[in-house]
Amino acid sequence: MVEVKLHDIGEGMHEGEVIHFFVKTGDTVKIDQPLVEVQTDKVTAELPSPAAGTIKDIKVKEGDVVTVGSVILTIEAVSAPPSKSKSEPEPAQEQPVVDRIIATPKNTVFTGGISTLNKRILAAPFTRKIARENGVDIEKIEGTGPGGRVTDQDVYRFIENGSAPKREETPETVEPQITTSAAATATASKDAEEIPFKGRRKQIAKKMVQSLATIPHVTHFEEIDVTAVMDLKKELKAMDPDNKRGMNVSVAAFFVKAIQIALKDFPIFNAKLDEEKEVIKLEKNVNIGIATDSDEGLIVPVISHVEQRNVRDIAVDMKDKITRAKTNKLKGSDMTGGTFTISNVGPLGSIAATPIINHPEVALMAFHKTKKTPVVIGNEIVIRSMMNVSMSFDHRVADGATAVMFTNRVKELIENPYFMTLELI
Amino acid sequence: MVVGDFATKRQLVIIGGGPGGYHAAIRAAQLGLEVTLIEKEKLGGVCLHKGCIPSKSLTQTAANFSGLSQFKQMGITVPDASFDYETFSNYYTNVVEGLQKGVEALIKANKIEHLTGSASFMSGERIGIDSGHHFEMYEFEYALIATGSTPKLPDQASLSNRLMTPHTLWSLKECPESLVVYGSDYFALEAAMAYRQLGSEVTLVIPGEGFGLDAGIEKELQRVLKKNKVKVFKNHQWISAEESGETVTVTLAKGTEEKISVDASHVLFIDGYAPNVDGLGLEAIELERDENGFIMVNEHSQTSTSNIYAAGDCAIGMKLASKAIKQGKTAAEHMAGQPSAYSLSLIPFVVHTNPPITAVGLTEEQAISEGYEVKTGQFSMNGNGFASILGQKEGLAKMVVDAKTEVVLGIHMMGAGAVEMIQAGTIALEMVAREEDLAYPVYAHPAINEAWLEAVESMSGKAIHVPPARKKEKSSV
Repeated sequence: MVEVKLHDIGEGMHEGEVIHFFVKTGDTVKIDQPLVEVQTDKVTAELPSPAAGTIKDIKVKEGDVVTVGSVILTIEAVSAPPSKSKSEPEPAQEQPVVDRIIATPKNTVFTGGISTLNKRILAAPFTRKIARENGVDIEKIEGTGPGGRVTDQDVYRFIENGSAPKREETPETVEPQITTSAAATATASKDAEEIPFKGRRKQIAKKMVQSLATIPHVTHFEEIDVTAVMDLKKELKAMDPDNKRGMNVSVAAFFVKAIQIALKDFPIFNAKLDEEKEVIKLEKNVNIGIATDSDEGLIVPVISHVEQRNVRDIAVDMKDKITRAKTNKLKGSDMTGGTFTISNVGPLGSIAATPIINHPEVALMAFHKTKKTPVVIGNEIVIRSMMNVSMSFDHRVADGATAVMFTNRVKELIENPYFMTLELI
Repeated sequence: MVVGDFATKRQLVIIGGGPGGYHAAIRAAQLGLEVTLIEKEKLGGVCLHKGCIPSKSLTQTAANFSGLSQFKQMGITVPDASFDYETFSNYYTNVVEGLQKGVEALIKANKIEHLTGSASFMSGERIGIDSGHHFEMYEFEYALIATGSTPKLPDQASLSNRLMTPHTLWSLKECPESLVVYGSDYFALEAAMAYRQLGSEVTLVIPGEGFGLDAGIEKELQRVLKKNKVKVFKNHQWISAEESGETVTVTLAKGTEEKISVDASHVLFIDGYAPNVDGLGLEAIELERDENGFIMVNEHSQTSTSNIYAAGDCAIGMKLASKAIKQGKTAAEHMAGQPSAYSLSLIPFVVHTNPPITAVGLTEEQAISEGYEVKTGQFSMNGNGFASILGQKEGLAKMVVDAKTEVVLGIHMMGAGAVEMIQAGTIALEMVAREEDLAYPVYAHPAINEAWLEAVESMSGKAIHVPPARKKEKSSV
C-alpha cells in the first residue's frame, strides 16, 4: 500500500487546496500519472502517482484544504511481489534486456563493456593519471619507454604536439581506384585547406538545422544601460579585492540572475513545446545554458537551478563550467537539462545578432558589446555604458508583445540591480 | 502543467550499502557531495554478512585447525583438539557485528544520510524509497546502483538448510557430515577444502575440466585436493537434487553417459549469479545491460545514462568486493568532477584454500591465445626454505612473461602467504615491470617470497634451488 501525501515543495508551503481529482477509487494508475491538482498560494501543481496500481481510498474531497503531510489517497501498488517462491527458478534472462525508454540524459559517448575494461594499458598508474587529467586518451599514445611502456614524457609530448598518433592503421597499399578523382582531390587540397567536418562541428550543424527547421524564429533587439550593474560589480570587488569572500562576481552572473527572475514572471520562455502531446511544458527549474566558444566550436554548459542560487554561486559555477568547456573537460551531465540559453558575445564585440534558439528551448538571449555612449537623461546628455541584447524566441509558443515585456523586465532588473534584492527568497 | 513537484532534492543517491555503495558514499562525502545511502537490510552487504567476512572466517578457522597437526613435530602437543561449529558461528557473527558497527559509525561520522528501504527509479532524475509504511520520492543529480547479485538456484529444487547457495550457507548450525559442492569457482574450492579440513566428507563436482586457473597451478591443486581426500568429479552436470530425511541425493550426468547419484547430508550449489535489479524500476531509465542482465559500465563506472553509475556485482565483470570498492570510489570521484578511472585488467584473484591460490594478469594459456610469444618460469614451494620451516611445502610460483619485451604478463602462486604476496605482483604489473625488475631486487631471507625470485630466475636457467637438468626443462616453453 502506497500512501500519497501532500509534501512541502520546499517553498515554505504549509497547506494546499485540492482543486480536482483526476482519478477515482478503483482506477488503475501508472507511475507519474497525475492524480490530483493542488493549489497553494504560490503554485498550482499536479501530484503524480509514485507507483503503478489501483486507487484504493481517497481520503479528502475536492475543495478541502489539506496540510502538508496529510494522506490524500492510497494506492494498492502492483509492483513485483516482494518474495518470489524459491522453488520457481527465475526465468533465465537469455535475451539482451532492453528497458523501456523514457527521456533521460543519454550518455552519447558511452563506451562501456567488458573488453574495454579488461584491456591492460602499458603505463604506470601515475602516468595514466596525467593523461586522464589532461583529457588525453592514453591508448592513442605510442609508448617509447621500456617494453613499449608509455612514459610521462610521452604523455606531455602528446599534449604539446596534440598529435603524434599511435601507429595509425593506414592501409599499407591503397590503390587509387579512379585515378582522376584522386588527382582532383590532390589539386583541391593544394588550393584549400580541408578541415574535417565531423565530431563537434557536425553536431553543431545538425542542431542548428534542426532548430531552424522546426522553430519559426523571431528576434527583437533592445538596449540596456549597464552602468549601474558595472558600478555595483566594481564596488563589490573593491570591498573584497582578493575575492576572499567571493564578492568578485562577474557582470554576466547578474544577467543570469536577472533572466531567471524575469522568467519567473514570464514562464512561457522557460518552457518546452511538445507538439505530439499538444502541450507546452513550463519548466519549474531554471537551468540556464551558457553558450561558450571553445577551440572545437560552440558548446553549452548549463547552470542548473538558478532559481535556487545566489549570484555568487552562479558566478563561481559559470566560471568553472566555462573554463571546463574551453579545456574540454565538461561531463555529459554538465550540458543537459537547459531550459533557456544566453550567449554572452559582448566581450568579443558585436552590436546585434539573430541567434538560433537552442532547440527544444523556447528562447535565447545574446548580450552584445558594452560601450560608453552619450545618452539623454532628463534634458542632459550624459555618458552611460550601453549594451544591446538580441532576444530570439519561438513564435509558435509566444508572441512579440510578451517577448518585449520579458525583455523590458530583464532591462529593468539590470538597469536597477537593487530591484533584484526584492526577489531574494 | 507541472508534474513531479513533490520530490525532495538530493545530490547523490546510492542504492545498496555493500562495499561498493559504502565506499562510494564515504568518498563522495569526503569530496563534498551530499550523500543519501539506501540499504534494504544491513550496512556491509553480501561481503560483510554473507560473503567475504564469514567465508574467510571459515577458511581461516579450517586452516588453523588443520595446521595443528604440524605443531607436533615442533614439539607442541595439542591434546584432544576439536572443532565446535557453534562457537565458530558465534565467533564470526561477532566479527561481522563489530565490522558492521564500524561501517555505521563511519557513515555517521561522514554525515551521510542513511535510509532503510527499497529504492525504485521513477525516471532518470527521480527515485522512490519504500520503507515499509512510508513512501518518499527523491530527485537526484547523481545515482549509484550498487545492489549486488544473488547466486542462481538449481532448477526444480527448493533451498533448504541442506541444499544451500553461497548466501544461505551461513545458516548452517553444524559442520556437515558429508557435503557435495557443485561448482568450479573460488567459493566452491574454498568451501570444499575448508569443510574437508574441518572434518566433513567432501565431494567436489565441477561441470568442466578444471577451475580456470593457470595449468601449472591447476595441476598442483588437483594433487592437493586428492591428498586432502576431496573427491573430485570432473565434467559432471547437475540434473537434480532430492531431499529425504537427513540425506540429499544429487543426480549428475557426465555428458550423455549414464546418470549417477551422490548422497550427502548437505549440498552447496554454485552456478553463477544474477544481478539484483528486480523492483529497481530499471524499466523507467534507459540502461544498457548485458545478455545476463548485468549493468554495462565504462571505466568511470558510468552507465549508459551518464548521471547514473553502477558498481560491484550488479555491474558487468567479476564478482569481487575489491572490484566493487574500486568502482564505487571511482564513481564518487568522477561525479565530483575528477577524471578518475579504473581497469579490470589487473585485479588480483584470490582463493582462500589451504594453501591459498592467487593470481594477477594472464595465465600462460591466455597469453598465448592473445598472441604473445610467452616464456614462463616456475618454482616449487618444496624448494623454499621458509616453506620447510612452516611445514607447508605445497604449491608453486609461476611467472608468465612476454618473450619479446620481457614485460611480465602474469604471476600465479599457490602456497602459504600467497594472499598477501600477490599485491607485490599487482603493483609490479601496474608499473609494467619486466623480468629484470623482479629479478634484481633483494628478497628477504628466509621467506616465502624467495619462491618468486627463483621462479623469475628459472626462466633463464638461473634458479639456485633447481637442479640443472630440471632447470632447463622448466625454462623452456
